[in-house]
Parts: sequence; structure tokens; C-alpha cells
Amino acid sequence: MKMKRFLAILSAAALCLSIFAACGGSSPAAGESAPAAPAQDSGAAAAPADTPAAAEGAIRLLNGKIEIDGALKGFAEGYQERTGQEVVIESLGGGMDIFAQIMSYNAAGNMPDIFKTVPEGIFAELELDLTGQPWLDYTDMALVRDGKVVGAPYAIEGIGLIYNAEILEKAGIDPDTLTNVAAQRAAFEKLDGMKEELGLQAVISAAAESGNMGWATGLHLMSSYLAMGVDRSDKRIINLLNAGELDTERFSKFADYIEILFSYADQNVLLSGNYDDQVGLYAQGKTAFLCQGNWVDPSLEAHGVTFRSGLLPYAFLDNDTPGMTADPPDFWAVHNGGSNIDAALAFLADILIGEEGQRMFVQDAGAISVFSNCPYIPEMPISAELFVKSQNYPTYAWDWLLFQEALALDVTGKVFELFAKGDIDKQQFIDMMASEINIFMNQ
Amino acid sequence: MHKTRNFFLTVIGLIWAIIVLSPFYLVVVNSSKKAVDITLNPFALPDGLGQFAENLSNVIGNPNFSFYSSLTWSALVTVVTLTLLILLSSMAAWVLCRNKTWWSSMLFMMFIATMIIPFQAVMLPLLTVFRTIQEITGIQMLQSFWGLIFAYMGFGAPLTIFVLHGFIKNIPFELEQSASIDGCSPAGTFFRIIFPLLRPVQVTLLILNGIWIWNDFLLPLIMLGLSGRVKTLPVAVQSLYGTYIRQWDLILTAAFLAMIPAVTLFIFAQKYIIKGMVEGAIKG
Amino acid sequence: MGVEGKNIQRDITSALFLLPMVIAFLFTILIPFAVGVFYTFTDWTGLRYTEIVGLQNYATIFRQNDYVYSLIITVVFTLLSMLLVNVASFALALLCTSDIRVNNFCRASFFMPNMIGGLVLGYVWQFVFNQALTPFVFEKTMLSDPNLALFAIVIVFTWQYAGYIMMIYITGLQTIPEAIIEASGIDGASAARTLFKVKIPLIANTFTVCVFLTLVNSFKIFDLNFALTSGAPARIVGGRPVSSTEFLALNIYQTSIGRNLFALGQAKAVIFFILLAAVALTQVWISKKSEVEL
Repeated sequence: MKMKRFLAILSAAALCLSIFAACGGSSPAAGESAPAAPAQDSGAAAAPADTPAAAEGAIRLLNGKIEIDGALKGFAEGYQERTGQEVVIESLGGGMDIFAQIMSYNAAGNMPDIFKTVPEGIFAELELDLTGQPWLDYTDMALVRDGKVVGAPYAIEGIGLIYNAEILEKAGIDPDTLTNVAAQRAAFEKLDGMKEELGLQAVISAAAESGNMGWATGLHLMSSYLAMGVDRSDKRIINLLNAGELDTERFSKFADYIEILFSYADQNVLLSGNYDDQVGLYAQGKTAFLCQGNWVDPSLEAHGVTFRSGLLPYAFLDNDTPGMTADPPDFWAVHNGGSNIDAALAFLADILIGEEGQRMFVQDAGAISVFSNCPYIPEMPISAELFVKSQNYPTYAWDWLLFQEALALDVTGKVFELFAKGDIDKQQFIDMMASEINIFMNQ
Repeated sequence: MHKTRNFFLTVIGLIWAIIVLSPFYLVVVNSSKKAVDITLNPFALPDGLGQFAENLSNVIGNPNFSFYSSLTWSALVTVVTLTLLILLSSMAAWVLCRNKTWWSSMLFMMFIATMIIPFQAVMLPLLTVFRTIQEITGIQMLQSFWGLIFAYMGFGAPLTIFVLHGFIKNIPFELEQSASIDGCSPAGTFFRIIFPLLRPVQVTLLILNGIWIWNDFLLPLIMLGLSGRVKTLPVAVQSLYGTYIRQWDLILTAAFLAMIPAVTLFIFAQKYIIKGMVEGAIKG
Repeated sequence: MGVEGKNIQRDITSALFLLPMVIAFLFTILIPFAVGVFYTFTDWTGLRYTEIVGLQNYATIFRQNDYVYSLIITVVFTLLSMLLVNVASFALALLCTSDIRVNNFCRASFFMPNMIGGLVLGYVWQFVFNQALTPFVFEKTMLSDPNLALFAIVIVFTWQYAGYIMMIYITGLQTIPEAIIEASGIDGASAARTLFKVKIPLIANTFTVCVFLTLVNSFKIFDLNFALTSGAPARIVGGRPVSSTEFLALNIYQTSIGRNLFALGQAKAVIFFILLAAVALTQVWISKKSEVEL
């Protein structure tokens, strides 16, 4: 009864809208009490035109690496001058997960034409089959899933132990010999004994706090267990892991090595440091080594570092493994539902294997090209060394890209932290890692 | 005795204020340093204000950052939302408070209950719903200024109505009754009698909602996207956070800059919280 | 105009006054949430769903220990911060409404922490805990000990949120007619007596609002949690590693966005909603009852 009346009133109310407007106007207090409302309303109404900025026909690229945003935008501008095709570069920085942004774009029906994708296959249904694209002739690092090429690589990155060449020289250590576990252990020990005369606070700068740095241990360090010394095509260990199993013998070798790394690391940074703290410590010359990758080049430059740095593998095996774990960190996919697919493919070919695109990636973005026709050589020290090593030795795959990133979040990062803090000993580290991976993969 | 008490309170107040403000020291001094110096010694005083000027020009001059445009959009979004939100919520809260029917209490309970929903739980469905509205009615809801305002009204409604509701209850009903007897229409009663009395709580809500909208990052990002014309300040600031490198010199300078309008508004507005009530009609 | 006419006019006004906010609220929260609830019964990936899976997502939640752990620490955190925030903010509100000269300055200062948010907040406080308080106050940083890290979050939350809630208490205190305070002063009542017998009963409404807001917002804590610890440090519970400071909202976020298990994350959010709604509505109901009694 009352409900009926309420509904009746609601409909009556809708009809009376215009009348109400008149009533409201007749009440002088209304205008005065809501300060400045009318003025601002009209002001705002004039300003926004409510249309997206990108013109019809423009292609949009969603880039997940904000560091190369400027370089990409510069290239896009030149591309438009050359071809008349407008390209809008969108870059997403930290603070927001890029995958959530892709989901949002998809839900909003506003997908970019080219977007960052991942091997895991979260976005499989949005990816165009890129088989037969011209740039495939110059690289074998494209992302292939179920026999289809779905992602274009544009650079490789390498993970490893960055070293301060000057300190190593002073200590009489030849970095080229540090390619097996015995040699690295001996070097750490020697440097530890010379800390005072070399002005070192600790031998290694590593970070193992799981909240902000879980990726550095749970994914990056873990990558050596998965791939160090293993042929790129050999997927035994990663397949085993995806089935919920560890190769216990290999993992205990790895655990021995992690124990050494952590014991020679600066304990403050190890347990509570973030990326800035970790790189800052090394950049000040207070450690001889830094557990990161070639992407620290610009950070070191910003610190005004004058010493030369190089890159070593996490050589935890008894035999020599001189190669680096290096792979494309990012792949670009083309949205299969886009309205500018041909334009997007043409742009992709131009930026990846065109002369200007390759120059931009190497010189402006500081990247290491994955394309065999690229004549440019990286200039920054760690990247340059990685480039040389990747030419002279085999590289080992980033197989961690094939397991769910969630594993680091859920499992590996936390177990590394517990080990670093001494909450668990080495055997517990091995057991816990094995049982947690098993639980994770089987749930 | 009154004097001793006041002296005592003043000291406590000042000490507490210093404790509360001390973390801002880091924002202020580090916005006048180079990125490297921030990492090396965050607590040291800057060498001078020269670096602040340089950081400032780097933030303002950065073409990707488009500082003035983002600032303008942020200001527009905040001001328009606040105006509509406060006006319309006051109206709604008054009805919900004075109307003692079952549907009114149910509606009020629903408003309160939705304060509990975590934003992430409605994030993607929100976009789908807005997209559907857009397809059916042709009204541009996504990548649109007014769409964002509309969403802010929805998300701001529960808290605003809840606080206003509690406040309106304290206003004696007799005031309205006498106005009604004098021949005032219900709308007239509200705008002439009630609305002016709400000023202190409205100013409070203006501040609370203003801070939220001014600093909000996720909603404008997902609603507007990255390449739209409309871009708010927090969305612009995120471009300073790299995968690895965080440009703390510029981030802190930007944070410092973004704080200035907020603090100014606050200092300006808070006078009304006090004044409004002293001048108010309740006393009479 | 007759009584009947007046009633209709009043009802029309009511409907029109309510309409705009109800529409906004309906389309931005209520319908999306309903859609979200629907997704929990499917295999939603964030992009699409292909089949209805019934209650499977809900069953999964309780098979994993992380959600239950998050729930427990969220409750602990909520209780601690409700107490601290309300005591602190009410005390600050009394201070700022007293007739001391610096009350404007104090009010602005206490509210200041709300002017910065997200990552900058986390950044500043990481410095405070890792480098200012360590090694001078604590031997090891509070953020690397599971129990102390929880307190660290309580501290930062109170630092920020007490100023916010204080604003609402101040607004409430301002509604007390000065005549009443003066009258009780003339009657010779002590300051404490005036506070407990006059002020607090008169703003019982405000207490309901503030306690509710603190309850809900402590329970929903996300930004600060994400920026300050992101769940770290790790600890061992029942032989298994857990993120010691991953509160419920962060747990939901990590499930949906971090692990791309959108349907599962959505189901966690629904349970979160039901739990909090039950607690919060009980709180409001109890407060309303005691408001009447006061």
C-alpha cells in the first residue's frame, strides 16, 4: 500500500520536474545558500567538450615501461611526419598495475591498439596472431603461444650480479673468472677480509623484503635456479615447477649459493631496504656487488657514479656458466578487436626493424636490441657488457615469465625473506619452498 | 586557574602539532634537493632554494606532465563535484532524516551499508555498467568529465549523507514546524531554514570530500584512461614512478605543489566551521 | 491548501530531493556491486566469464589460510585503531574547540596528514621507520618485525585519520549551544562534569558517526597498507609463510589484480562486505539505542 504510494509519487515527481525548477527559482534563499553554484556550473559546462583526445584513425600504444616514454613519444612524432599516421603513446608508471589498466580499458570498451602482454596468457583472447610479420625474420625471441606468434619483443634485459670493476681490480680479482660457485665464494670471502682497506660497508647489496622487493628475490633470483646453464629450449625445470615440483638436488645447490649471497650482504638493506636504498648503497661504492640487472644503468648515472660496472651471472653451479639470464621483459601485442589493425602492424614493423626505430631504442631508450639487423650498440656500461656477453656466450631464458607472477607474490618472495631473516635455516628453506610451490600449483 | 589550564593546553597542542607535522619535514626539505641527494641523506637540509626552483621548473615544464592543464582539470573536477555533492546530499539527507517511513530508513541503511564495499569490488563492473548506459542512452559516461563527476557523486554520497543526517537530527524540528505554519512550502522550509544551518557541517564535508577527490588516483585513471583530454593531477604524477626508478625529487615537489591549494582551502574554510554555528539560529 | 494537499506537496518534494543522489548511487555503487556479486558465481577472468561455477569460489576461499589470517589481523588492527583514533581525535577536538589562542593552528596541523596520500605517504613513513627511528629508538626497524609492523601501521593510520575524525567531532561540538555550557558553568559544574554530563550526551549522534566511520575505514584500510608494507614482513603461521600485514582489502586486491583471480577476489569482497556490514550495522544499532537512553 505504502509502496504503491511511493511509486506513484516517484512517477509524479518525474513529471513535476519542470514545475519544481520554477518553485526552486522562486525561493530566493536557494541561490544564496549554495555559494557560487550557478557560476561554476556554467563555467565548467563551457570547458569540457567530452571527447577523447585521440582523433579517429590514430593508433594507441599502451607502454608499460615509463622510462622509455619520452623516447617513444619522440619516435611517434617523427613517424607522423613521415607517414601522416598519428600514434598516441600511453605510458603507465608505478602505483597502478598495468594489467588492471588493460582490464579497465577492456571493460570500458576503450582498448589500445597495441598493448603490453605477458607469456602467461591472461590476455590471450585479445591478442592478434602476428605470424608472418616482417620483423620475425630478424629475431627468434618473439612470444609464441600454442604455435601462434602473439607478442613482439623490442629489447632484452639481463639479471645478475653487478660488480664494481675498480674495487675488484684493487682486490686483485679478475671478474672474468667469477663464473662458478667456488670462484664467486672465494671472491666474496677475499673482499670481506679487505672491507676496511677498500672502504666497503658490506660485500653485496641485496634486498629481500617481500612486500616491495619480492620480485627481486622471488622472480629474479629464482630465475637462476630455473635457467642458469640450461639450454633455452630445455624446459624441464620450469615444467617441473609448474607441476608443483622442485629439482631438489639443483635447488639445494641454489640454496647454498643464496646462503652465501645473503651472508655477505648488508643486513640492513637486505631486511628492510627498498630499490633506492639498495642501488644507493652500491652507487656510493660501499659494496662491491649489487643484485639487480642492466636496468640500473640510468640510476647509477643519476648518482654520478664514476667507477665502471659490469655484470656477472648468479653462478651457483660447480661448472662454469659465463652466460647471462637475459630475455625480453616486455612483449607488445596487437589488439585483435581494434579498428586500426593494419596501421598498427605497419607501425610495429617500422619501430622494430626500421632504422630510426632501432636507433631510438638503443640510443634514446638505452635498450639492447633483439633484432639481428640492428647496427646500434648500447652505450651504458652494464648494458654494453650484457650485449657483448650475449654475443659471445649462450643466454639463459627468463623462464620465470612462464610461471604465474603470483607465485612470487604468494610463495617465493616470502620464503626468501624468512631465510634472509634467519627465521628458517637452509634445509627449512628448501623444504618450505618445495612444499609451498606444491600447494600453490595444486590448489 | 583558567590561565594555567590554557597555558597547559597550549603547550600540549603545540607539542602535538610538532609531532604530527614532523614527517612533512621530509617532503619539504627533499623537494629542494636532487634525486641523488635525497637517497644519500634524506634528513639533511638542502643547500639552498636553487634546486627547488629547478625541480619546480622540471615539474611545470615537463610536457608529459602538462602541469597547468592537470591542475585546472583537478580543480574543475573537485569544485564541480563538491558543489553538486554537498547541495544534493543536503537535500537527500534532510528528506531521509525527517521522513519517518520504512522506505526512508531502508534507503538510509542502504547508503550506509555501501560505505562498506571495497572500491576494487566495483571497479570493473562499474566500467561495464557505465559502458552499457553509454550504449543504450548515447550519453558519454566514460572518458568524460561529467561521467567522472557522476561517479564521484555516487561514491561520495554515502559518507556525505551519513554525516549530514547525524547533524540534521540535532536541529530542533520545531523550527521547521513554525516555518511550515507560516506558509512556507517544504522546499522553501529546507532552503530558507535548514540549509543555512548546515553550513558548518557542509564546510567540514567540503574539506573531507575535497581532500579525497583532490588526491584520488584510481577512479580518474580507470574512468578517463591515459590519453584522454581530461587528466587530473594524481594521474599526471604517476608518470614519475618508473618500473624501477622513482623520481623522488619531482614526486615530492609535485606533492608539495599539490598540497598548497588544499592547505589554502582548508585554512580559508575552517573559519566557517566556527563562525557558522555562533551566528546560527539554533540559539534563538 | 488542505492537509492532504500539503502532504502530497511534501511527498513530491521528498522524491525530487532524493532522486539525484539515489540515481548516482544506484548506477555507481549498487548496480555494479550486484554485477560483481553475480561474477562470484562464475569463472570471471576480469575480461569475460564463460560458465557459472556456483559456490566454488566461496569454497576455495576457506580452503586457503591467507584469507582467514588476513581477517584475524584486520580485526586486531580495527579494534586497536578504533580505540586510538577515537580517543585521540576527540581529545584533539576538545583542544581545538577550547579558547586557547593557537587552536586554529592546531586544527590545521592535526588535519595536515590528510593532505598527502598514497605512495608519498608510504615513502615518508618508510624513512621515518627505517632511518629516523632505527637505530635510535628501535634496534631493528619496526617494519621488519611482524608484530611491530602492525603497530607501525596503527601509528601511521592514527596519525592520519585522527585529524580527519577530529573534524567531525569539532563540527559536533560546535552544535552545542553556548548557553548550555555557560549555564552548567554558572551552576558550578567542573570541566570534567560538563564534559561527561553535558557535552558527550549532546553529541551522541556524532559519536555514532565517528565510531562507525573509524570502524569501516580501519577495516577497509588499503592505500596506507599498500604504500607502507605491501604485506611484508613475512612470518610463519602453522608452518607456512604468510604476509604478516596483509589486511583484507589488500588481500582482495592481490587476489584480483596481483594474481588475476578476479572471480575469487570478487567472492572475497562479498564475504568482506557481509562481515563488515553485520558488525557495523550492529554498532550503529547499539549506538542508536544508547543515544536514546542518554
